[in-house]
Amino acid sequence: MEQILRIFYNNGSFITFVGLQLLCFYLIVNFNATQRAIAAETWTVRAGGVKDAVSTFQDYLDLREENEIQQRENAELRSKLQEYQSNRQGVTSDSIQDLIYGQRFTILAANVVNRSSYSPNNTAIIDRGNNFRIQAGQGVLGDEGLLGIVDVVSNYHTRIISILHRATRISAGLRNNAFGTLQWDGRDPRRMTLTDIAEFYPVSPGDTVFTTGYSSVFPTGQVIGTVESMVIQAGTGSQNLVVRLINDPLATRNAFVVQDLFKDDIAPLNTSNQ
Amino acid sequence: MRGVDAVSNIIRFMALLFLQVFIFRQVSLGWGGADYIFIFVAPLFVALLPMRTPRPLVVIIAFLFGISVDAFYGTLGVHAAAATFAGYARQFALLVLEPRERYKVKASPDGKDLSQGWWLRYVGIMVASYTVFYFSMEAFSPLFWREIALKSVLTIPVSWLLCGIIVSLLQPRI
Repeated sequence: MEQILRIFYNNGSFITFVGLQLLCFYLIVNFNATQRAIAAETWTVRAGGVKDAVSTFQDYLDLREENEIQQRENAELRSKLQEYQSNRQGVTSDSIQDLIYGQRFTILAANVVNRSSYSPNNTAIIDRGNNFRIQAGQGVLGDEGLLGIVDVVSNYHTRIISILHRATRISAGLRNNAFGTLQWDGRDPRRMTLTDIAEFYPVSPGDTVFTTGYSSVFPTGQVIGTVESMVIQAGTGSQNLVVRLINDPLATRNAFVVQDLFKDDIAPLNTSNQ
Repeated sequence: MRGVDAVSNIIRFMALLFLQVFIFRQVSLGWGGADYIFIFVAPLFVALLPMRTPRPLVVIIAFLFGISVDAFYGTLGVHAAAATFAGYARQFALLVLEPRERYKVKASPDGKDLSQGWWLRYVGIMVASYTVFYFSMEAFSPLFWREIALKSVLTIPVSWLLCGIIVSLLQPRI
């Protein structure tokens, strides 16, 4: 309070000046025909510019919401892609109950809200949880490329193990059907290693590396990156490929959780194998 | 009319108001159907307020004088705005023109130690600030800056001269 009084005391003449000038402006505009006309004209000219600026500002405020809408739409469109459908087209037998139009994977838009500090074992938190039926083991995609795999689910949030985590193992392959396991050695966040590709498969630098879809984690054919170089593993008959990632998983904000509708259907078949 | 007491200031108020609205209002020169030269003695009243007047009070009194002038000119608010501006600008004029040995407001309330040159400069600043603001308010849009500049350039010397004459005749104290 004392400070306010002090400010007024120190700037008293300025405040008085501004107040009286405002009063004068009011008087000028209201009691002088010429000035009123000029003021009205000026207002008309300037108002357009002001309105433009205001609407630009408001558009900017809406961006977050617009972004959310776009993201949801992306999720919906992606889940309609070929590789997200279960491969039952052309099966006409009516004894098969087509659950939801042959849909296999659904996509859920989410945002990365937190991530661990950079280490050989990176994790991140997204803002969807049990409330959207996320379960451990589901894959998480970025705008392009992969982000990680769901680890722990709480009510409203989920921790995902980034693909840049030394425990990550992802089934990945090339267009020529060679496939192996993608893992990270904890060193360079731009490169991962695709191991156990048989030596006789011809591979060239620049070949695209896809997900295979042999697990229920990621749909088939998601681009992961490109081959940078090949390292023959002497004596094992296999080669390791250095894969240059298409995305930067540590900087991505938009996440898409992949939910496999047939997971429960496929899971018992995988375990009874052993 | 020459002192710093309230009565002198009230007389000054009346006298300068009378001069401005009944005599100098009639004087305006111009060509081509437009007047470009006017005479303003109103800033002199603001300039001659006692130096010890609190600054906000200077602004308020200046406003009152301006609105009184407006009442006779029929331009409600225009002179008031200019006088208010001059009242606000006064403190800066005094600050800029402060003599090296400072104002002897307390030691010698006469204020006679201020030279003729000081008075001319002081009145010049006040007249200029009043005039420029007045014409800006009269035109009321920066689009008319040519007109504002022309009128100011022509009016300031005449008004300055007249105010200077009044000051040297009266030898007022502030």
